Amino acid sequence: MQFFFEVLIGGLLAGVMYSLVALGFVLIYKASGVFNFAQGAMVFLAALTFVGLQEKFGLPLWGAFPLTLGVMVLLGIGIERVVLRPLVNQPQITLFMATIGLAFFLEGVAQLVWGTEVRRLDLGLQDEPIESVMERFNLLISKFDLVAALVAGLLVAVLAVFFNKTRIGRALRAVADDHQAALAVGIPLKQIWAIVWSVAGFVALVAGLLWGARNGVQFALTFVALKALPVLILGGFESVLGAIVGGLIIGASEKLAEVYLPSLMSDFLLKHYDISINLAGIEGWFAYMLALVFLLVRPEGLFGERHIDRV
Amino acid sequence: MEHEHNTGRRIGGTFLSVENISLAFGGVKALTDISFDVREHEIRAIIGPNGAGKSSMLNCINGVYRPQQGTIRFDGQAFQQMDPHKAASMGIARTFQNIALFKGMSVLDNMMTGRSLKMHTNLFLQALYVGPNRREELEHRQKVEHIIDFLQIESVRKTPVGRLPYGVQKRVELGRALAAEPRLLLLDEPMAGMNIEEKQDMCRFILDVNDEFGTTIVLIEHDMGVVMDVSDRVVVLDYGKKIGDGTPAEVRANQAVIDAYLGVAH
Amino acid sequence: MSTQTGPAVAGPEETFPRLLLAHAQSRGDRTAIREKDLGIWLSWTWKQVADEVRAIACGLSALGFRRGQTVAIIGDNRPRLYWTMMAVQALGGIAVPLYQDAIASEMLFVLENAEIEIAVVEDQEQVDKMLEILPKYPRLRHIIYDDPRGMRNYPDQVLLAFEALQTSGREYDKSHPTHFQTEVDKGRGDDIAVMLYTSGTTGNPKGVCQTHSALIAVSRGDIAFDGFSADDEILSYLPMAWVGDHLFSYAQALVAGFCVNCPESSETVMTDLREIGPTYYFAPPRVFENLLTQVMIRMEDAAPFKRRLFHHFMGVARRCGAALLDGRGASVSAGDRFNYWLGNLLVYGPLRNVLGMSRIRVAYTGGAAIGPDLFDFYRSIGINLKQLYGQTETAVYVCKQPSGEVKLDTVGKPLPGVQIRIADNGEVQVRTPGMLKEYYKRPDATAESISPDGWFLTGDAGYFDEDGHLKIIDRAKDVGRLDSGTLFAPQYIENKLKFFPHIKEAVAFGHGRDRCCVFINIDLGSVGNWAERRGIAYSGYTDLAQKDEVYALVKECVESVNADLAKDPQLGGSQIHRFLVLHKELDADDGELTRTRKVRRGFIAERYQQLVDALYGGATHCEIEAQVKFEDGRTGMIRADVKIREARTFPAETAQRKAA
Repeated sequence: MQFFFEVLIGGLLAGVMYSLVALGFVLIYKASGVFNFAQGAMVFLAALTFVGLQEKFGLPLWGAFPLTLGVMVLLGIGIERVVLRPLVNQPQITLFMATIGLAFFLEGVAQLVWGTEVRRLDLGLQDEPIESVMERFNLLISKFDLVAALVAGLLVAVLAVFFNKTRIGRALRAVADDHQAALAVGIPLKQIWAIVWSVAGFVALVAGLLWGARNGVQFALTFVALKALPVLILGGFESVLGAIVGGLIIGASEKLAEVYLPSLMSDFLLKHYDISINLAGIEGWFAYMLALVFLLVRPEGLFGERHIDRV
Repeated sequence: MEHEHNTGRRIGGTFLSVENISLAFGGVKALTDISFDVREHEIRAIIGPNGAGKSSMLNCINGVYRPQQGTIRFDGQAFQQMDPHKAASMGIARTFQNIALFKGMSVLDNMMTGRSLKMHTNLFLQALYVGPNRREELEHRQKVEHIIDFLQIESVRKTPVGRLPYGVQKRVELGRALAAEPRLLLLDEPMAGMNIEEKQDMCRFILDVNDEFGTTIVLIEHDMGVVMDVSDRVVVLDYGKKIGDGTPAEVRANQAVIDAYLGVAH
Repeated sequence: MSTQTGPAVAGPEETFPRLLLAHAQSRGDRTAIREKDLGIWLSWTWKQVADEVRAIACGLSALGFRRGQTVAIIGDNRPRLYWTMMAVQALGGIAVPLYQDAIASEMLFVLENAEIEIAVVEDQEQVDKMLEILPKYPRLRHIIYDDPRGMRNYPDQVLLAFEALQTSGREYDKSHPTHFQTEVDKGRGDDIAVMLYTSGTTGNPKGVCQTHSALIAVSRGDIAFDGFSADDEILSYLPMAWVGDHLFSYAQALVAGFCVNCPESSETVMTDLREIGPTYYFAPPRVFENLLTQVMIRMEDAAPFKRRLFHHFMGVARRCGAALLDGRGASVSAGDRFNYWLGNLLVYGPLRNVLGMSRIRVAYTGGAAIGPDLFDFYRSIGINLKQLYGQTETAVYVCKQPSGEVKLDTVGKPLPGVQIRIADNGEVQVRTPGMLKEYYKRPDATAESISPDGWFLTGDAGYFDEDGHLKIIDRAKDVGRLDSGTLFAPQYIENKLKFFPHIKEAVAFGHGRDRCCVFINIDLGSVGNWAERRGIAYSGYTDLAQKDEVYALVKECVESVNADLAKDPQLGGSQIHRFLVLHKELDADDGELTRTRKVRRGFIAERYQQLVDALYGGATHCEIEAQVKFEDGRTGMIRADVKIREARTFPAETAQRKAA
């Protein structure tokens, strides 16, 4: 039982990391109805810039962070100026295509500027068990995972307040709902988009730092975005809370499946059908299968808006 | 209407004038050489059969469409072309034929967005919701509450707009436009799709707005009867051309209008 | 204020204005009244209220208002209208609240009858009615309005803004500084405080004159009975012209000194209830029913899991909720007690919160019979809902159910100071401290209603059960007999039908006929929802009412009532044989219901003679045309082909169980 809890908690904490990436998608989707394919590239760019600044100029953590944030904000404003503004009133598929282009562009630029080799990112956090928890409950909980989870929780709280309580938040929701109407009441669409992309850049930075510190800063970071996909399908594209819960479910079920499913399945198959197979690597595809099942049962996601058409 | 609505209301000088406007989409002419004026504090209606160019006219005034020819003169300034943001910041607010509210947001939030241009504190300070920003927010809220009271939609204040019946949504949209404290209010078929009772309510609100706030109103309407009751002067369009202009009585007596519009059963 | 509560008596010097001034003096800084305006709850302390009232009273004096005159008060529950009542009474005048949804012609009668010269009204809607009446009733000198919206260009000879009234009052007060106090001091307990017009099922409304003493005495009795105090909170949302609201929001509030909250508008009551969380609540069954219907409709639309949870725990509540509420917890098993605790956490608590009843200590219903499902529902989720009995003429002070002794089919025990006797014809007759002084200018009616030896003749038929609880079955004059001689109590049958959520109104016929037949009005909300869920398309009430599926639904209800009636030793013979669903909703504007929404059986029978004939003639359908009055005052015709159906009846249990 204790081992089960260890796996569960480990999974939940890892899930938080998925949520972080998913959050970036949700922000942009809410504000502009676009699935931002470049979110993964932004995570990569943010992490790489951060490490690059540290290496090249020997900047400390607290020095590199605001600088990188500045880069991400500039990037957000730039994207609005160069990519979005000319595409106002275009169909969403056009905008989606533009983000694909953007993704390749950002990946290219990042590697051009900072090089292609894998780098280590040290946040001063060790991926080691917390002793007090180990002593009292005899559970192995990673310090790194816990801090990452706390950071993510804080981020979500801030974003929730930002969206629901502030005027920009209200303007953001208005823009997300109806561009034309937002323009007619005098909401500055351009500013709003720039802000959303900047905030998404900030989220990408936080995600990039945590993922980079865990797996090293490398091109593979862009694939993290792919893991956010099932999270979004579970949680709904429009819900901040959905991104979090979706991440937790994916994280936990993935880890549990990885540990328990192969032996259960192969025992079952061996006993009844006399088939022997190797189910290792299940964590690679389990999340996607779960998302697929979810699409069939509840396509709008757990927290997405249900669209009921009344006759 | 038991009480003559325009008693005691002083109609001022020319406030908006549309001069020789022509608009074409590709080869299709939507408006041809249209001119008319709107006086301060008056209710001006634009009527005409379907496809007469009424909505296009409204869209030219608030800058959604850009006419190929002509001038729009608003409050002493001349424009070849408007754009929606500039129109809004000059005090032109509008509603849409197919309600363009933010469906997922509450009535209150929808109406607060109407005050976007009246908000002055720095966009980035707002995120903090402190100091002058907080005070300003409360002032705006008070203004909006007055309009909520005015339109009698207190009971749905916190309800997401998408869940409200059509007639109430129309009222909320009017409220959002009013929240901007407009000097010129453009109403695109404010009574379309309403039942008799809702139409009467809406008529009363339009007259009250004009009366209480002195707002100049340009409204498009398909329903002749309603227009004749509420408006001071009427412009009649048919196939993008102006075929009549005058008081409701004059328009009613105009043969061209009778042929083009009143003759058409609807 | 312990001196304020006690037995149902009042001193000869006690008047409402004196009570107000006493509160202002002894606890002037406590909140007396709140109102939600522009989204914010505004409040006034007792001292502030006394000041406002003084300004209004002096303003009225400046207008020439004198002792013994009347003032009409028309509008939703607004603080200013309650204050006007106090101000009028301070000057020794009589407040006459009118139903705010009455049409101008109905108001005209009351204005003329009560000889009203000053009307204080809420807004443009009411002002318009007064202006419509003015040419026919030029005696109306002043129309004072609270909310000026939309009236900027109105002729101002008779109109006066409330602020202007108070401003002139404050000036008058300066030049006559002792005037207000002198007038209050002149007041006597047996002065008439208020005239409440009862709509009555026939004839013109009558003004019931109630004195300060009577109203104060019954309020004191009520407060002692349920232990109300200055700490209670109520929401005033019932029509000010209804005796229920007058006692609840005015008389009891002034005697006990509790806080009265006025909702933002009649549509926001649900939200306002939740925000205020009153501790004491009074509503006619109809209001409780509407609340429940809303909850049920929302539950039907909820996710399956939520719905199952709700139904499971409502089952638990039905089993043991009422017993736990009445302190009979010993009879409940430990398992059920745990289940109820869990249910309270997951369902009842949130439900009470949605209903705005989280803090309710005592809730009353009265004025009409309440359905068993409805009554049980509220009690089972832990709301101490009780029944009371009384009428305008008795200041609703006759019977109440004591906490812990609550029964569905009785109205409780006689209150302290009340005597009840049952006449030979079954009529309930009472002597109460809340007895009316007289019907205004109607000595004939007064003599008819009060016996020479001082008993009020309620006109209700009823009897005492074995526990000493009064049970009311119908109006005494309506209790009739079928051809066969079987007892026929139409209201009893109608009420049983109306207890089904799908049935909104019912009208039973049978007196002097061979069998009982009924008209039914379906509930558009409830049946409409039912139809939608079954994919039955309909265009409106008339269309839905004539669907075969709807008839089948109604038939089930009718037959279940028949099964119930069959068990009654006296009424078993009056089961329903045939029924029809009316093509239009019965409406007070068409004169089919009274303003308190009671069916006017005689009027309906006359108006729909054709349908009644068809019911008894054996036809299977009947074509009918009827005139309806729309809300804007226009009239129109509705034409329909109404179906008629038979219902199954059950063998009556004629055994004389009672005799045993």
